[in-house]
Amino acid sequence: MKSQDSNLSVWDIVLIPLLSASLTAGKMALSFIPNVEIVTLLLMVYACVFGFRKAFLVTLIFSTTEIFFYGFQTWLIGYYLIWPLLTYVASSVYKKSQSEWPFAMLALLFGLFFGLFFALVESVFYGFSYGIVYWVRGIPFDLVHGASNFVTGLFLFKPMVSLLTMLRDRYYFAQGLQRQL
Amino acid sequence: MNKKLLAVLVVILLAVGGLGLSRILAPKGEEGTKEVTVQVLITSENIDFTDSYKTDTLYLEELLKEQADILMPETEDTQFGPMLVGLMGYQADTNKEYFNIKINGEDAMVGIKEIPVNEGDVFTFEVSGF
Repeated sequence: MKSQDSNLSVWDIVLIPLLSASLTAGKMALSFIPNVEIVTLLLMVYACVFGFRKAFLVTLIFSTTEIFFYGFQTWLIGYYLIWPLLTYVASSVYKKSQSEWPFAMLALLFGLFFGLFFALVESVFYGFSYGIVYWVRGIPFDLVHGASNFVTGLFLFKPMVSLLTMLRDRYYFAQGLQRQL
Repeated sequence: MNKKLLAVLVVILLAVGGLGLSRILAPKGEEGTKEVTVQVLITSENIDFTDSYKTDTLYLEELLKEQADILMPETEDTQFGPMLVGLMGYQADTNKEYFNIKINGEDAMVGIKEIPVNEGDVFTFEVSGF
């Protein structure tokens, strides 16, 4: 079933907010450990299983939800850029390789350069010096972020992609059967 | 050894090494007694305060605490360490202003907990808007 004014099916309209909610819940659940997160892994998995377009919409809802929790902050502008970028890269990589290694490497690099990216965004608002301070001060956190992303990516990416792909295909199969009846 | 475990071990070792290196390379305070100058500028309150102190403290946070009777520092804990939000009875409105810290006229690159105290340093605290 598709809505009249968009290309999104009812399945998509239910799925996209659910996936966004899972990102927020995952982020909250690990928020007590600085810079250890599961959002990177989940977004890579969503981009690979459901494609860039749906994952992109998930990132938009996820980033907007952050405003309700933290108010409008300058770092949120970075969220609207960096998460869609991650989903784009992940979905592109998945077309070439389904191995967990490139995704673990992507997660590692994403974590290591996370602070640098936000430093660039912050320096637009507060000046270059502030950006440098922001980045240098956060380097230890980026190291933890990169290492933890690598570990989760290496061990959890493939099982999660397999599980979600199976659930997705099972749903499509059931939908196909219903249409035939 | 399993390839994955080896990779994880390498990444963790590199991360731990990086963390250790950043600690080793972090600036350290000078041992012994030093004479330093502290300047506080809060235009909205007409505060323009300057004084010199002899101190054995290694970092600025300790110096502020040592001179708490006069400077009355107030801090907020953040994930990056303590952030200075108040001095001399004035609390900055963190939505629109902050205490800009200068060391010998140069903007500080780290927070008060990591700013070393060296002989002859001039620390300037000025309330600035975003």
